[in-house]
Formats: sequence, C-alpha cells, structure tokens
Amino acid sequence: MTILCVRFQLPPTREAALPGLLGLLEDFTPVVQALPPDAALADLRGAERYFGRDAVELASVIRVRALAHHGVDCVIGAGPGPMLARVALGEARPGVTCAVPEDAVPGFLADKPVAALPGVGAATARTLCEYGLDTLGLVAAAPLSTLQRLVGVKAGRELREKAGGVDRGRVVPNGVSRSLATERPFTRDELDPDRHRRALLSAAEELGARLRALDKVCRTLALTVRYADRSSTTRSRTLKEPTAHSAALTRAAYGMYEALGLQRARVRAVALRAEGLDPAEQASYQLTFDPLDEKARRIEEVADRARAKFGPHAVMPGSLAA
Amino acid sequence: MFECGVRVPAPGSPEREVRVSGFAHLHTASGFSLRYGASHPERLAERASERGMDALALTDRDSLGGAVRFAKACAGAGVRPLFGVELAVEGFGPSGVKEAGGRRRVPVRGGAFVDDSTPRVTFLGRDGARGWGDLCRIVSAAHGGEGPPMLPREDNRGDGLIVLLGADSDVGRALAAGRPDRAARLLVPWREVYGDSLRLEAVWHGRKGTGPGSLRLAARTVGFAAEQRVRPVLSNAVRYADPGLGPVADVLDAARRLVPIGAGKELDSGEAWLKGAGDMARVAERVVEAAGFRRDTAYRLLEQTGATAAECLVDPEDDLGMGTVHFPEPHLVGAGARTAQRALASRAVAGMVLRGYDGRRAYWERVHQELDIIAHHGFASYFLTVAQVVDDVRKMGIRVAARGSGAGSLVNHLLGIAHADPVEHGLLMERFLSKRRPVLPDIDIDVESARRLEVYRAIIERFGSERVATVSMPETYRVRHAVRDVGAALSMDPADIDRIAKFFPHIRARDARAALEELPELRKLAGERERYGRLWELVEALDALPRGIAMHPCGVLLSDASLLSRTPVMPTSGEGFPMSQFDKDDVEDLGLLKLDVLGVRMQSAMAHAVAEVERATGERIDLDRVEDGDPATYRLVRSAETLGCFQIESPGQRDLVGRLQPATFHDLVVDISLFRPGPVAADMVRPFIEARHGRAPIRYPHPDLEGPLRETYGVVVFHEQIIDIVHIMTGCGRDEADRVRRGLSDPESQGRIRVWFAQHAAAKGYDAETIGRTWEIVEAFGSYGFCKAHAVAFAVPTYQSAWLKAHHPAAFYAGLLTHDPGMYPKRLLLADARRRGVPILPLDVNVSGVAHRIELVSESRGVKGVWGLRLALSDVHGISEAEAARIADGQPYASLLDFWERGRPSRPLAQRLAQVGALDAFGANRRDLQLHLTELHRGARGKGGGGGQLPLAGGRKTAAAGLPDLTSAERLSAELGVLSMDASRNLMDDHRAFLDELGVVSARRLREARHGETVLVAGAKAATQTPPIRSGKRVIFSTLDDGTGLVDLAFFDDSHDACAHTVFHSWLLLVRGVVQRRGPRSLSVVGSAAWNLAELVELRAEGGLDEVAARLAEPVAAPAGDDGDPARGRRIQMPTGYEMNPWADLRPAGQEPSQVRKLWHQSPGSAG
Repeated sequence: MTILCVRFQLPPTREAALPGLLGLLEDFTPVVQALPPDAALADLRGAERYFGRDAVELASVIRVRALAHHGVDCVIGAGPGPMLARVALGEARPGVTCAVPEDAVPGFLADKPVAALPGVGAATARTLCEYGLDTLGLVAAAPLSTLQRLVGVKAGRELREKAGGVDRGRVVPNGVSRSLATERPFTRDELDPDRHRRALLSAAEELGARLRALDKVCRTLALTVRYADRSSTTRSRTLKEPTAHSAALTRAAYGMYEALGLQRARVRAVALRAEGLDPAEQASYQLTFDPLDEKARRIEEVADRARAKFGPHAVMPGSLAA
Repeated sequence: MFECGVRVPAPGSPEREVRVSGFAHLHTASGFSLRYGASHPERLAERASERGMDALALTDRDSLGGAVRFAKACAGAGVRPLFGVELAVEGFGPSGVKEAGGRRRVPVRGGAFVDDSTPRVTFLGRDGARGWGDLCRIVSAAHGGEGPPMLPREDNRGDGLIVLLGADSDVGRALAAGRPDRAARLLVPWREVYGDSLRLEAVWHGRKGTGPGSLRLAARTVGFAAEQRVRPVLSNAVRYADPGLGPVADVLDAARRLVPIGAGKELDSGEAWLKGAGDMARVAERVVEAAGFRRDTAYRLLEQTGATAAECLVDPEDDLGMGTVHFPEPHLVGAGARTAQRALASRAVAGMVLRGYDGRRAYWERVHQELDIIAHHGFASYFLTVAQVVDDVRKMGIRVAARGSGAGSLVNHLLGIAHADPVEHGLLMERFLSKRRPVLPDIDIDVESARRLEVYRAIIERFGSERVATVSMPETYRVRHAVRDVGAALSMDPADIDRIAKFFPHIRARDARAALEELPELRKLAGERERYGRLWELVEALDALPRGIAMHPCGVLLSDASLLSRTPVMPTSGEGFPMSQFDKDDVEDLGLLKLDVLGVRMQSAMAHAVAEVERATGERIDLDRVEDGDPATYRLVRSAETLGCFQIESPGQRDLVGRLQPATFHDLVVDISLFRPGPVAADMVRPFIEARHGRAPIRYPHPDLEGPLRETYGVVVFHEQIIDIVHIMTGCGRDEADRVRRGLSDPESQGRIRVWFAQHAAAKGYDAETIGRTWEIVEAFGSYGFCKAHAVAFAVPTYQSAWLKAHHPAAFYAGLLTHDPGMYPKRLLLADARRRGVPILPLDVNVSGVAHRIELVSESRGVKGVWGLRLALSDVHGISEAEAARIADGQPYASLLDFWERGRPSRPLAQRLAQVGALDAFGANRRDLQLHLTELHRGARGKGGGGGQLPLAGGRKTAAAGLPDLTSAERLSAELGVLSMDASRNLMDDHRAFLDELGVVSARRLREARHGETVLVAGAKAATQTPPIRSGKRVIFSTLDDGTGLVDLAFFDDSHDACAHTVFHSWLLLVRGVVQRRGPRSLSVVGSAAWNLAELVELRAEGGLDEVAARLAEPVAAPAGDDGDPARGRRIQMPTGYEMNPWADLRPAGQEPSQVRKLWHQSPGSAG
C-alpha cells in the first residue's frame, strides 16, 4: 500500500502541464515515474514514515494540493506495487482513493477484466476475450501452457504472474516529462494539403521553441492525424540526431505527412509530439561545412530572443504570417 | 468576321440594341447527370416554356436516360426538345501523353480523389433518326470501356452530330491557359472529323480570372472562333432551372467528388440557371465587347446559337421511335419462313390437340376469336417471342409461371405460357387484349429467383445482344441518402449523420421537415433541428434526383436488330449484361417490347424443397400436377398457420384466411383478391365473409347478374365481374366493357359513363331501380377490384406452397431458409418449424450441405419417418460460395487437422464454425477448438506458434487446452451472430423467468384471452409495417415472436407518442395492450405502452426488480396537444379514390429484424 498511481484530469490541450504536476509529487518523494500523457507513479515508502501518514491519507493531501496549486483534479489508486496501484486507479474516482490491501490481492483482481492489467493492450485483451478468458481470475486459473500458446511464451508467463497478483515492478524515477505535444485543430473537415502543411509548420515551430526554452532536445517526433470519424493515424520517426531545431522538426513532420499520401481524408486535427527528451548539453551535433545550417540556427536563436522580448508572435515563418 | 456569310456590319453604321425573341439553351444538364444536375428534366422544360424559349436541349453527362421524360415534358410545355449528351472524350493526340506526372502515393486513409479531369465535350443530335442513332452509339461506346465512361477516339465521329467545344474541352482548356497556339493545334483533328458541325461554346458565369465561366475565357473563345473560322455559340452550361440553386449544385459536386464543400475547388457561381432571352442577350453583349467586337455583334452570336438549335432536328415521335413497336424478327421465334401469324395459329391448334380441348366447341371459338384480335394488332411475334422464352426456360429445368392479365388468354395457355385454363376459371381475354385496346399487352413470367440471371443469359443467347437489353432503374435520393450526402458535404460529424439518417423512416427527401414536425418518433430529433442549419433545406432540394443507376430487377427489352440505334446501352456493374439507360416507363413510351421476367424466391424455394425430397427419399413430386382439394392442405390454411406460404403469410392475410376459412382453390383466389388495398379500402371483405358464412343473405341487383356474381356471393371482387356486368346490362361487348371499366377510375369520364350506362341498360329493358342499384355497385367497386387472372396466377404457388408445408414440412422449411422468401426473418421461420415439430439439426461440417437439407431423424416412431432440417453452411456469416462448396465436397473429415487441410477455411470462418458447434465432432470444447485453429493458422503461415504439431489425445479427438467452454448464453449469442438464427433454442426461453415475474402472457396462452382484456406480451420483433389503412390513419403493425407463437400487435395514433420510437428502434419488446378478437382465430393486441425488453432484462440482471420498477415508473412522452394524428388531418388522395395518411405505407425506421445479428447484451467474453 505504498505505491500511488495518480491520474491528473487534464484536458488534452493542457498535456504540457504534466511536468509541473510531477513537481508536486516530488514534494513527497523523489521516486516519481511519469506515465505520459497524464499520469504518474509515486513510491511513498519513505514518505509514509516522514509525514507520519499512510498512503491513502497522503493521497488526499496530493489531491488537495493539485487542486489548490494547479486547479487540476486527480484520481488516485494505491497498492503494494506499481501494477496493483495502476489497476486500483481504474476503480478510483475523484475523492475516493482505491487502495488494494496486500492480503486481498487475488480477490481484488479476480473479477477485473483483463484489459485492466497494465501491459495488456487492446490486442491481447481481444485475444484473451475471444477464448473466454475475460477476467483476471480466469486467466490465473488457466493452464500456463495454454496461456503461452495464446500470447507467447514470455508474455504468457508474465500475464499469469500478474493475474495472480505477483507484482515484480518498481517505480523508476525518470525525471520530468519525457515528451512534449501540441495539436492544431481545424474548424471543419480540411482536405487542403497546403493548410495541413501550414498547421504542421506552426506546430513544429512551437515544439522547437518550447524544447529550446527547456534546454532539451528530442530524439523522436510523432505525427498524429485525426479524422472526422474520430479515428486517427499515428506515425513516428526517429530523428537523425537529437535536436530542438525547428527546421529539422518541420522537415521530419513534412516527411511523415507526405508518406501518408492523404487525398480525400477529412482531417480534423494534426498533432505533433516530441518524444525522448534529453538535456540539450548531452546532444551530439553533426557539424558541416555548409554555412546554411549554421545561419539557420543563428537566425533561430535571434528569433527566440525576439520572441522572448516581444511575445511569441513577434517572429514567425512567412507562410504562417499571411 | 464569323464564318458562313455573317458579315461584319459596315463601319459607321449606328450601334443597334440587340433584340432577340427567344434563346435556345444548347447545353443543359438535368438530374440525370448523376450528382451534377440539380433539376429534373420536367422542371427544366416547364421553366423554358415560362421564360419564352421555343427550344431547349438536354445534354446530360454520360446519359440519355432523361431524354424520354424530357421529350414528354417538352411536348406538354410547348417547347421543342433537342437531344444531346455531354461525354468525357479521349484526346486525339498520341496516347500516353495525358499521363502527366508519376502515380500518386496510395493514401493511408480516406481514399484517393475522384478524377473527373478528362476533357468533356457536348454532342447534339442533328439529323433525325441518324442523329439519335449516333447519340445512342457514342453513349454506348463511352460506357463500353473500363473505368469511368469515356468516348474512345475511334468512336468519336458521326454524321448526325453537332459538337460544342466548351471550356471543359481540350481546346477550351488550352485557351484558358492562354495558349491559343496550342488550342489551334488541338482544334485540327476536331475539324477533320466534324468539319462544319463544329462549334465553339462561350459561357460567362461571372467568374474572375481566365478559368471556365470567366469573361476573359468567353471572350477568348469568341475571338478564337473568329480567327479559326469556326462558328461560336453562346450557352449557359445550365445545371439547374432556377436562380438560387447554386448551393445544391455545390452539394452535388461534393457528393460526386466525395469531399466536403469547398475542398479544392471554388464554389458554384450561382449563375448556371436557365436564363431567359434578355439575360442571355446581355451576356452576349458583354462577351463580344470583351472580345473586342462592337456591341451589336452580339446579335450574330445569338443568331449563330439559334441557327445551331434550328439544325438539331430530332423528332421524338419519328426519330426516337416513340409510339411504334418493334418485335424480334419472326425467324428468331420459330416461325421459319412462314409469317408469325400463321406460325402462331398452328402452334395454338397443336396446343388444343395436346391438351385435349379439340373436341370442345367453346374452346375453338375462343381460340379463333383471340387469334383474330392478335392478327388485328399484328402482335403474333410478341406471343411467339414470349412462348420461345418460356420454352427455353423450361428446357433449362427452371420453374416458370405466367402472372398478370396474360393468364386470361387461351392462346397463352395453349402456347404453354400460362398454367391455369382461362376458360375453366372464367378469365377474359378482353381484360388482357382487345381490338379496342391498342396498348402493348403485358405478359409477365415468374421464374426461380436464384436462377433469374441464367434466364437472362439464355434470352441474350437466343436473340443476340443486339436485340436484348435489360432495363435500368434510377436510384433516387430519399431522405436517408440525402441526409448522408448533404451531411458529408457540410462536414458534419459522421456519427451525427448516421444517427440522423437512421432516425428517419424511408420517406421522400422533400418531406424531411414535414416529418420532423409531424412524426412522433422524430420528436427528439426535431428538438435539435436548429443545430444543423441548412441541412434540411438542402436535403429537400435533393429530392428524387437520381444518384445512381441500377438494373431493374425484372424487365428485359426484346427488339429487332435496330435496338442499339434506338437506345443507349451500358453494361451492368455486376454481371455485365447490356442495360438500356431508359427505365421501364421510358421503354414503354419508346415502344420497345419489354418482357417482365420476375425472380420469385418462392419458386426457388419450392424447387429446392422438391429437389430435397427427391434426393433424400427418391420420391418425385410434380408440383404442377398436385391435385386440388387436398384436405390436409386446406386444414393448414384454415388454421392460419401459414407462415412461409406464398401471399398468405402476412399478419393481415393470416387474419383474413382465419376468417374466410378457404376450402377450395377458388376460395384462395378470392382471398388473394380481397387482400388488396382497393378491396380493403372499399370494405368488400366484411360483406363477403358475412355472406360466405351465411350470416347475411346473398343479393343480386338483378337475376341476370347471378351468373357473374354467384361465385363471390354477390360481392364484386374481380375486374372480370365488372366487365361482365357492364356487358350484360348494356350488351356492348366485353372489349368495350373493359374500356368502360378503365374509365371508371377517372372522375371526369365517370360522369359520361354513367349517362351512357343508364341509356343502354334502359334500352335493354332494365328498370330504373335496377340500373341505379347496379350502377352503384359498378361505381363503388369498379376501379377497386382485382384482376382475377392475376389472382389465379398467384393462387397456384399459394396452393403449392401450402401443400408442401402440409406434406413435406422439413423440405419446405429447407427451401424457405435457403432462398429466404417472404417478409419474416429466418429465425422466425425456424421458430415456426420448431413449433410444428420439425427437428432442427445443428450445423456440422461433416453433415451439412451448402444449402439447407432434410435428414431422416427417426424411423421407429410410427410408420412414417420424422424428417429433420439440417442447417446449411451457406448461412454462416461471411462464407463464400466457393468455401461452402469446398467444405461440402470434402466431407467427411476425420479430424480437425483433416478439416483444416482439406476444407481450407479462412481463419475467421473456421472460428465461426467452431463457435456455433459445427466442429463439435472433433473435440468437445469450442474454445479449445478455436485455440487449435489459431495455431493451425499460425503454422500454415510458417511462424510455428505452438510447435507446429497439434497435441492430439485419443487419435481423432483434439486434446483439451483447459479453456472455459462457451456458456449457454454465449452459444446462443454466437448462433445469432454467425447464423442470424437462434438455432439451438428460442432466444426468448432465456427470459422466461423474468417474463413470469412480470406476468407476461405467452402467445399460446393469449389464444384463450378474452376480448378486451389488458395483457402484457413480449417477444422478438419479426416485422413492422405501417400499411395504408381505410380510416386514413397511420397504424403501426408489428409481430412479436415469443417462442410459443406469434403475437400480432397494432398501435393506433393515440399511442404513437409513447410507443412509436420504441417499437421502431428496439428489437425485443415488452408491450401492454388490449386483446381484440374478431373471430375464433382472429386475434390481435392493441398496444398502449411499449418498452425495450433488452434494456429491462439488463436492468433486471444488474439491479434487480427495483431498477426495473424504476424504469417502468418513468413517465412516457406526453401526447402532443391535439388528437394525436401526426399528419394533422392531412391526407393523400390515392388514385383508387381512397384517402391515405401521408406517413403510411413506408418502410419504417430502425433496423430490419432480419439484419439483427447481435443479442441484447454482449459481455466482454461473449463469442462473436
């Protein structure tokens, strides 16, 4: 009962607020693991003794602070291990922390649907349900060999252990948020590739600026295109070198967009996410003899300063200014 | 300046105002330009007349399908019609150059753009029949290739054509691009082919720039024409009749290109309407001025346009062939070198001898009389043609029967076309064809539906594809499609669009807003109507515009070899049959002989049943020789358990046969005739039944009329009786009497007929009172009755199907389930079979065939064996014909592995088979089987999931894997999902306990319920209708099946507010209502409240009875303030003279029960 899993109820547009909220958890314990986009695990083993309260009481404190400091509500699950805390989160409601007592784990899990287990995605859940193993109790009761035939040898073994309540995971502190995201919605079904590209350019510019402001570089860029029928396509690309350079991000975004070859798709939004954030000083940078790249970066630096002084819209690419 | 003697006005002559009396639009698209034109041809003709034009061309895109309506409308409006077509054309340049740029990447989502970039050119028919023939030829040629229609280079010619090169042609595009040099080069081949018949078309829609519709392009076109010495014409490229329809054109563009409005292309200019002469003169002035000519040159431009219109001389009567008849040549229909008439006569005589009528004088007289009539009209070829088709069909071993008034002709009977003997049944030739009736007679033949296309192929083979074409049927916008297309064009949320579309019953698009206001089940939607802005207006504007063209399900054109120069033909999408672009009405106007070959599923079902009996028992049944008067059959019919029997299975018919209690074939004929909108509306049913059961005396207006009226107890039921009455009373002859009968439905001629009737009857010595009374009958029932020939033709399969149901029930159900006739979902037929004691044998890959089969279940009980019904592989969801055949051919299978290897089912199919227990023979647990199948599948793909080796236990059985087996509810759910039938037991059985808690009366116990008792009934909905009703009210009829029988429900207007939505949109229903009895076997429940039973069952399972009580306690929607009639007293006057509620007789909203594949709940673990 010492691990908490906290899900902040952030609207999708405020994803970027997660790092600040993680800081709130870090007031209680240094062992905080971000689960982007909106959740985090916190190991309170030391904190319980330090604060003299148990995990459930601390959970109330966390919720109050999140509301007071950030105006964000949260739901919290508590359990002896990270997996159980996450399962417990599924049962929790704002203000009602769901805690799994250590001695009642199998009973708690038995009638949960398989999809409640972290690590069981839609595909695995579908497979298991197809074969009638729709609750964790049934999974735990099924022969190991059958499970392994269903989902693979290693996954089968892990699945059976987890379903039996054996939680071998631990909370791995991973510092601040590992990703940044931004989204550009359209007011109606947009088919025009020029508009799409313009939205991508503006999103990439924003991501670049935000990364540079944080002194971070990103390794991977992911593009999500949302359609009118509420479906979406996601593509991600690992950059040649970690960067925060807007031009490089834009290039990568355009490349992914072109590869989709969209023609009649009714696009309602495009979103970019920078993943794998590392401190900028640790990034490698391939020097070239081409002065163009150098110039672009210097212009960017100047533009950043101008923006810092005169506001975010002071300097922008020509095609966005029109 | 313009070629051909048009002189430039002398310099210095005073500028003249252009004055023109009329303007001829040469380029006009109607709604038959699919998803392009926004107005119907009739509307265009009307407007042209109103705006003082004396000629109007119809040039639809890729189609001549609107030509006949247009010609008729023009004749009515006093406008001369010109015919033409706008086609995409292949360029004259060397092939291969048009492919500019590389292939685009295939989109991951949303699909590629619809390409309509091919240059388009307008063709007009010029020289009479030749012009029309050329138009037909190029349209057929354009549809001949693959992909979207495009006129190939080698077919792009024709002496009877005038060509307009407009902004969309290759020349126009070059001009728009500012390349007159290139335009001149592109013009050369056009000029070579069409010479003097070439025109350049200038259009000004007030657009900016140099694109289509811009003033600069129009000016360039006129200038280029002067330079090249090609005559220019002015047109308005019309897409809609009236100003303000631009947004509708935008929606159509969006629907055609499958994109939202405004994506990629600019919006419609709003100018492309049928402008009057004054407007067009002003356009001409602006165009010539912009081209640098003086203003009065505009006059020349208009004159050229008028001259071009004057050249287009295609006459609808002479050149389209309207009003003349073309039969296949006599030598093709077995006449050899003789004339068709002589061949027909000798065949008729041969038929007399063959059927043993040759000794009977009445027959000879009738034959000679009929042959005389046929010779009078010269229709002998027609009879021979039909006889030829029927012979061919019969030779193929396909069941065939004639229907319609053709059954009244003895010649048809002798030729083997009609089954029933018309003399014996008192059918009249005059109802079918007489000297006074010049219209083309109409013989319809019914064939087995499953083999209808075979019949088509045989006909095409017999007469050649140059004489045969199927008939098209425009699919027009109704409300649901209109909502979908407009919604998509307006970028609405797809989920919203779907929801709104499904809310509506299948009504016309133009009634959308009226329906929102008036229909109680749409009240919820009406509340949010404002949210959708212009949606409703645009939906209504799309009303009845064609959105696609399909093959008509029964018409086949038969003509002589000139067919292809009289009708444009395109291949049908599926089978590639030649299909005329005209629909069935057009075809009649054009004088093309149409033979209706109807696919009747009941014929297929009976053929299958007979074949099954022969396969399983060796007994050969000839249904056509089954003796009439079989007591078991009539016992079945009288019990009203006639589900599945032809024509007498609907709730209303079951009620009627229950009251009428038929005992002979003639009773069936009367029963079928009575159950028609006319007789029901005229209230002929009650007096007939009263008289039949001796509760009312039989009355005749005059003893002379006893002859025709005796058979129906003095009630007029048949057309034939009216003919006879008029004939007897006036002595005018039966052919004249039929003409009189037809005149009765028209109130104007009715007055004249009345006077005529009174005079002639008086002359024959009838007293005034008799005349008055007889006239009352004639007047009241004249136009309502039913043609007895039709009814006799219908009653034959009715009797045959009832006979099968009585004597070979298992085979009968096997046939029904295989060919799925009738109005009920398959699961209901299965429930009926179960009730009638036919064992249902589950699907089994080792036993089941492709189609449903019968199997001997036990021979020990009694003398006769009990036959069971074995379910078919073809009913498994998603199985292909090839897969089913392969599985059936490979039987038996020794093990799962054997089945997998030899049956080669796809993985989803194998999984479904396992779910419904078709593989139970290989191992007990269905889930374990599924796991094995998955691994076999993985192994087959070379990935080696479980080691590639199946763990076997005990040889043939598959080893258990320890997975939980399907629960009983899951099995039922799987059966519904996979077979759409609850095969193992009735799905209502699972709710028995809950229904008992509620105190629901079962269908079986309902039979003992008293009249007026309030009861609760429940069941799965089987069919819902809102038929036209005598009272003019809208009544919702529904049938529930609860496993013990059927409950027929009726909801009257006062309950619609509370019930309509629930009844239409739920599948399982709980209904409170009052029992209504009209006879010992006639019983229905008048509903007053309805709930979705599925919802209640779920509440019961989750929250117990209290939750259910809470749901039942919720107030139902309060009735709207007035009397509850949604139409507010509005009524539609039917041609037959009675009134109908405007919202009756529609296909109601909600899912068809036969489409339901899901159980009410779906737990995460349920299969399927």
